[in-house]
Amino acid sequence: MSVEGKRYDPVTVEIDAEHVAAFAWAIGADPAEGVPPTYAAVYCLGATAPQLFGDEDAAIDFARLLHAEQEFAWERHPNVGDRVTSQATITSDQSRRGLRFVTLETDSKDPDGAQLCHSRALFVIRSGG
Amino acid sequence: MEQEVTFRTEQIAAYARASGDMNPIHTDEKFAKSVGLPGVIAHGMLQMSIATVVAGKAAGGAQKLRRVSCRFAGMVQPGDTVTFSAEETEEPGKLVLKATNQHGDTILTKGVAEYSTED
Repeated sequence: MSVEGKRYDPVTVEIDAEHVAAFAWAIGADPAEGVPPTYAAVYCLGATAPQLFGDEDAAIDFARLLHAEQEFAWERHPNVGDRVTSQATITSDQSRRGLRFVTLETDSKDPDGAQLCHSRALFVIRSGG
Repeated sequence: MEQEVTFRTEQIAAYARASGDMNPIHTDEKFAKSVGLPGVIAHGMLQMSIATVVAGKAAGGAQKLRRVSCRFAGMVQPGDTVTFSAEETEEPGKLVLKATNQHGDTILTKGVAEYSTED
């Protein structure tokens, strides 16, 4: 059931002020400092990860999924009001010793196609039972 | 740069709502136990976000950050107190990120942040 190499459709989100403020509050960031860098968890990773989790071909057991590693690399941080388009690819999907390791990589771009953020997430899914 | 944070169920729930990560292992105690966890656990991304706030302070501004990465090595439960740190390295613009709980267990490993040293 490996879906390695699968590429999902792009997803566009708008960076919403109220949503950013709630995120900043939850992580203890100063909202005056602009969009917190890890808000990429929403506009980059968060915009695309549900495509993987809801993918019947991928058959991810969401309840047994753990986020094992995360990397974000930014060319530029988006601002409130920006429209951001993100596209994800499953760059690795391998099982060993009852664990499944899935790497989801996502690129977020601005409306001109300029790179904003690259996300690499490693998820580990434990076997059921 | 160092910051101590005691995790509360309210903060984990606030992060769940704000991030859209509604996996019940973070908000539903009964569900978390049913899948073999000790109880609800904080989102790895909440831990990483707090570590990144600390890194932003060490870098002289969050918007200067160019890269952060880490491995989620330990679970954080409500009531746990975690010390997050971001320390300069010999390499300009590079920070090592660490997070340790009240028992001395490392919860984030391979934590690195890079930031722009230009003004």
